Amino acid sequence: MMSKKKLTVQEVLENAPKSWPLKVAITLFFIIILMIANNYISYNGLTDTGVRVARNILRSIFSPNMDYLFNFSSRSAVPFLLLETTAIAFLGTIIGTVISIPIAFLSSRNIVPKWMASIGVSIIVVIRTFPAVVYGLMFIRVTGPGAFTGVLTLSVASIGMIAKLFIEVIEDLDPGIIEALDASGCNTIQKIQYGIIPQLLSNFASTAIYRFEINVKYATILGMVGAGGIGAPLIFAINAFRWSDVGALLIGLILLVLVIEAVSTKIRSKLATGE
Amino acid sequence: MIQFKDVTKTYPNGVSALRGITLDIEQGDFVAIIGLSGAGKSTLLRTINQMIKISTGTLLVNDIDVTSLKGKKLRRFRRDIGMVFQSFNLIKRTTVIKNVLAARVADMPFYKSMLGLYSKKDRMIALEALDKVGILEKTYTRADQLSGGQQQRVALARTLAQEPQIILADEPVASLDPVTSHQVMSDFVKVNKDLNITVIANMHHVDIALKYARRVIGIKEGLIVFDGPSSDINEDILTEIYGRQLSEDELMGEE
Amino acid sequence: MEKVKQLFRPKPIVLSNGKQVQPKLNPMYYILPILVFITVYSMNITRFSFATLIARGEQFWIIVSRMIPPNFAYFSNVVNPLIATLMMSVVGTLVGVILALPMAYASSTTMNQSNVFRGITKAISSVLRTLPVLVLALIFRIIFGPGTFAGTVAIALFTFTIMTKMFFELIDTADLGPFEALLSSGANRIQAFWAAIMPQLWGQYYSLALYNFEMNIRNAAILGYVGAGGIGIILNERLAWRVYPDVGMILLVLMVTVLIIENISRTIRKKLL
Repeated sequence: MMSKKKLTVQEVLENAPKSWPLKVAITLFFIIILMIANNYISYNGLTDTGVRVARNILRSIFSPNMDYLFNFSSRSAVPFLLLETTAIAFLGTIIGTVISIPIAFLSSRNIVPKWMASIGVSIIVVIRTFPAVVYGLMFIRVTGPGAFTGVLTLSVASIGMIAKLFIEVIEDLDPGIIEALDASGCNTIQKIQYGIIPQLLSNFASTAIYRFEINVKYATILGMVGAGGIGAPLIFAINAFRWSDVGALLIGLILLVLVIEAVSTKIRSKLATGE
Repeated sequence: MIQFKDVTKTYPNGVSALRGITLDIEQGDFVAIIGLSGAGKSTLLRTINQMIKISTGTLLVNDIDVTSLKGKKLRRFRRDIGMVFQSFNLIKRTTVIKNVLAARVADMPFYKSMLGLYSKKDRMIALEALDKVGILEKTYTRADQLSGGQQQRVALARTLAQEPQIILADEPVASLDPVTSHQVMSDFVKVNKDLNITVIANMHHVDIALKYARRVIGIKEGLIVFDGPSSDINEDILTEIYGRQLSEDELMGEE
Repeated sequence: MEKVKQLFRPKPIVLSNGKQVQPKLNPMYYILPILVFITVYSMNITRFSFATLIARGEQFWIIVSRMIPPNFAYFSNVVNPLIATLMMSVVGTLVGVILALPMAYASSTTMNQSNVFRGITKAISSVLRTLPVLVLALIFRIIFGPGTFAGTVAIALFTFTIMTKMFFELIDTADLGPFEALLSSGANRIQAFWAAIMPQLWGQYYSLALYNFEMNIRNAAILGYVGAGGIGIILNERLAWRVYPDVGMILLVLMVTVLIIENISRTIRKKLL
C-alpha cells in the first residue's frame, strides 16, 4: 500500500514555480529596445510656432470657414471634396473587389491545387506588404496627380485585404450544400448559382463594405500625396496656416468618416443577421 | 452578531423581495436559508454585505449600521465578510494560488495590487486557507482544470484568505453532484467549528440544509415563516415554506 | 421606402389549395442598379478614364521593371531610416496601447456606470479615430518639428484611438462573476477590474497590441512623406528623383522586414490566444 505524504504549507511555498526568468527576459528586451529607440527618437522641444499651431488647429475646429464648408457649388470647396473622396474610395473598393474575386478563387485550397494556391497567396502577401501611399506615389508617375490616380491606387491596395478575407470565406464553404445540389442533379452553373453564391455573397459584401470604410481614410491620405480628394487641400491649408479653412476641412472629414462608419456598421450587422 | 429589524427591500420595478425581516444571528451560528426560488433568499443574503441596499428597516452587523456604510468604510466592512457563489466565480485561466491571493487585494495599497506584489504573509495566509479546505496539492494548477467541487473549495479558500468573521454562501452546492456536495458542506462545517466563523447559506437542496446546518430559516414571499433548529423541521413546516410537496429537484440524495 | 417596395413587389403565388405565398423581393433588383449608378457617377467625378489607363498603363510595369534588380549598394542608406521606422512603431505602439487601457476601462459599459462620463470619452475617442495617421503626423510635425518624435507621437495617438475601441469591446465581453466576488471581498472597482477582469483578457490584449504593431510598421513607413521621420523620407526622395533601383531596394527591405515581423507576430499571437 502506498502511503501518501501530506503536503505541508512550507513545502508548497518552497516548490513554487519560478515565473521570474520570463518576466526578467521580457523586461530586458524592452529596456534594450527603448535604449536603441533613444538614439532614433529625441524630443527637440516644441518649434517656435509649435504651441501656437496646436492651439490654432484646435480653435479652428470651432470657428471654421463657413463659406468653404457649405459651398455646395464649387468643385474646390469642402462638400465636393468630400464627395470626391468618397467617390475615390467607392470606386477603389468596387474595382478592388472585382479584381479580388478571381484572385481569391485561384488562391483557395479547396478550389485549385495546393501549389497554385500557395503562389496566389504569396502574391497577395507581397501586394499587402506595401502601404497604399507607396502605390500612390508610383501611380502618380503613371497617370499623373488627381482623383483617377487615387482610384487606381486604392484598387490595387485593397486587393491585399479583400482577397485575403475572400479566401477565408471561400475555404470555409460548406461542401455539403454543393453535394446536396449535385445529388439532385444540378449542373455546374446551377451549383454555383444556388450552392456557392448565396453562401458567399453576404460575406463578400460585408468585407467590401468594411474595406470601403478603411478606403475613405486612405483616400484622404492619398490626397495628401496628390491623388485627389480632401487630402491635398488639407495639407495646403495647414502649411499655409489658413486655420479657418483647416477647421472646415477637418470638420468635413470627421463628419464624413463618422457617417460612413455608422452606415457601414448598420449595413454589415444587417448582413450578418440575414437580410 | 447580525440583527435585522423589520427590514424590507423593494426593487425599482416594484417587486417586493423582502417584506419585513426581523432576525438575529449570533457569531458562530451555522444557518441555512431555504425556500422557493424567488422567495427572497438571495436578496436577504446580499443585504448583509450591502451588495443590495435595503429599502426600510435597520440592519446591524456587529453594531454597525450597514446602510450608513459608503466608500472606504464599506470596503473595510466587506473585508470581514466572505462570499461564496453558486458558480464559483473563479478566474478560470489563472492558477489556484493566484485566485486565492486575489482576496488579499482589497487590503493592499493600490500600486502593490496592480503589480501583484503579495507579501510573504499574504502567501502564507493563502496557503493555510488552501490547506484548511484540503486542496493544497492543486496550488499551482490552473483553475479551469479542476472539477466543480475542487473549484468551490478554492472559492471557499479564497474567502478564508480574507480572514472573515462571516461567510455568506449563495447556493454553494447547487451546481455540484451529491458526493461532492457533501464534501463541500463538510468543509463549511469544519470552518464554522474550528474558526468560529458565522456561516449563512442559501440552500436549494433541503436535505443537505437539514443535515449540515444547526439552524434553519424558511422564507416564503419575503417573510420568515420558520426560524429554529434543523431538528424541529417536519413535513408540515416544509409544505408551509414551499407551498407544496418538495420536488425531486429540491432533494440532493444520498452520499 | 415601404411604398417603393410596394411598387416592385412580385405577384403573390397562389397554391393549389388556395393559400397565397408572398415571395420576397430579390434585393438584387434594387441593389444592383444603385451600385451601377453610384459607380458611373463616381467615375464621372473622379474623371475615370479607360483610355488613359490603356495608354499609360504600361508605364506602371516599366517603373516596376526599373525597380528590379534593386540597387543593393543602396542598402547602407536604408538601414538607419529603417531602424528609425521600427523604433517609431515600437515606441508609438507601446505608448498607445498602454494609454488605451485606462481609456478602455472608462469607455466600457460594464465597468463605467456613469452614462455621461462614458458618453464623453466615447465621443472624444470616435472623433480622434477619424483622423488618418498621416494627418496626425503632419500636425505633429508642425508642432514638434521634423523628425521621428513627431512620427512617434502620431503613431501613439493613432494606436491609442484604435486600441481603445478594440479593447473596451473586449472588456464588455468579460465574465463579471469573479469581478462581483472581488467587490464583495472589499476591493474597490479598479482593483477588482485589475485582479478579476484583466487576467481573463491579458492574452487578447497582447495579441491586439501585436496586431497594432504589425499595422504600425506600414503606417510608420509612410510618415516620412510629411517629414515625420523614417524610411518614408528617402522613399519619397528617391521616387521624386526617379532613381528606381534605389526605390526598389527600399521596397525590398521594407517587404522583408514586414514579412519577418508579421511571421514572428503571428506565431506569438497564436500562443497567446
